Amino acid sequence: MTDTEQFPVRVEQPDRNGGNIFSRVFDELTAFCRSRSLFILHYCTGCGAIELPPAMTSRFDMERLGISPMVSPRQADILLITGYVSVKTLKRVMLTYEQMGSPKYVIGICSCTVNGGMYWQSYATAKKLNDYMPVDLYIAGCMPRPEAVITGLRQLMDKIAAGEANGWEDYYRRYDYYLGHQQRLFGETWQTPTDVIAEARHYGLFGPETLGDHTRLLEQHQAPLEALEMQLGLGAPDEVKA
Amino acid sequence: MHWSELAIELTLMPLVAFVVGLAMVLMMRKIAARLQRRVGPPLLQPLYDIVKLYGKRTQTSHGMLHEIGIVMAVGGYVAAETLLPVPGMNGIAEKGGMITLLYLTMIPSLGLALGVGQCANPNGSIGISRALTAMLAYDIPLVIVIAGVAIHFGTTNLVDVIAQQQAGGIATWGAVQMPLLAIAGLFALQGMLGKQPFEIYVAPAEIATGPMVEMGGKFLGGLFVMQCFQLYTASVLYVTLFLGGGENWIAFLAKAFAVLVIPMSIAFLFPRYRTEDMITMLWKWPVVLGLIGLAFVGS
Repeated sequence: MTDTEQFPVRVEQPDRNGGNIFSRVFDELTAFCRSRSLFILHYCTGCGAIELPPAMTSRFDMERLGISPMVSPRQADILLITGYVSVKTLKRVMLTYEQMGSPKYVIGICSCTVNGGMYWQSYATAKKLNDYMPVDLYIAGCMPRPEAVITGLRQLMDKIAAGEANGWEDYYRRYDYYLGHQQRLFGETWQTPTDVIAEARHYGLFGPETLGDHTRLLEQHQAPLEALEMQLGLGAPDEVKA
Repeated sequence: MHWSELAIELTLMPLVAFVVGLAMVLMMRKIAARLQRRVGPPLLQPLYDIVKLYGKRTQTSHGMLHEIGIVMAVGGYVAAETLLPVPGMNGIAEKGGMITLLYLTMIPSLGLALGVGQCANPNGSIGISRALTAMLAYDIPLVIVIAGVAIHFGTTNLVDVIAQQQAGGIATWGAVQMPLLAIAGLFALQGMLGKQPFEIYVAPAEIATGPMVEMGGKFLGGLFVMQCFQLYTASVLYVTLFLGGGENWIAFLAKAFAVLVIPMSIAFLFPRYRTEDMITMLWKWPVVLGLIGLAFVGS
């Protein structure tokens, strides 16, 4: 990750109330292209994943809308989470979400991401996805059929083209709120490799609710990341020889 | 030639290559879609993808070499386009020739290796080591094919090669005169494009797109641009060597797109080989075919 303090960074803020006519045309072109080209990263540990292959392949064909699957968080625009997320998988979801490049969108599929669904009484699942990260679109159902998935994606495309799908900005503006829910679930020592507060400053999205009680708690526990020790083989050196 | 004409040609040739390359990417995705009984992407989809990637707010750079690597990857192909004669424009093709072109088409892989190396992602490292191994595999038949063509026409100058084929008509085309080399060239083309069954270094389900794994935003956009140039360079080189270049733009584009249909149609019907199987295959069949073809060249 580039250290934003070492390089002088000038961030152009999109001016929504007019401005230069060329920049407005360019912004609209970019918004249109963003809505017509969406790379999806699937996070399918729940049961809704089974409805996605038909949405992608010959019957419903997402690619005609410009939507295609991608495999790495750096490349993806949409994080698509199907079905319930357990506490353990939610940690991985958070790590994935913070690595994605903005503008990024989150879609929750199935009832379990909306309110816990049939796992509402379970001690091991996260109930409401939008407590932990901003969700741009929910597609409810148990499970939603491919038609519903495609309809939901079209709604997201319309929102992006209109410049309304700005959930990712909310994560920086109200980081304290989201971090609080994460700490409630993962414990006080929870930290991710991404410096969200520095990124909020970088994007010019630092607001009064970015910092709070929970970020102060994070600062107390935050330890700098250290590289893992390089090691060949799985066991101790002696076992490798044998 | 006046310098201003040359400057215009050197600017136009990569631009034309990019626009044609966009259409080739679209054709590739459409062929994949039709083979899988889908509708496929809309007309301007490759352009939407590139504009969107360059318009991302987050551009995660892993350092200076990461950025230079992408510039090398695109720049190597931009330089190669100025050495590839197209109808009406020769650029600096007369001063370059096949050997310079062959050298320039290797630069993108090396640039990518530099850039990916700095990302320090294990999937990326595996991917780029596979990409360089793949280059080693397809370069042997490619060099044999290019040597055969150079011996047959008595020159390494691509402008002369085209002129000789166009003067004699279809009977003097490389593909008619040297069918074995043309078949070996198709194998090398498949390897050069990195398409299935030789898609060992992208392998999305296995190593998460290999070299592209840490690329987001403008870096991935640069690689998408590179893909346009790559398709154009490979097919135009094949057309120049074996199908008599282009008498006019219509014939030229028809030939270039028709050549690409062959590897694309094969690609989406097959899974991929392992690395060692790819090397065994490419060092065996196209090399044997190419060497037999080389023996008949000039006789």
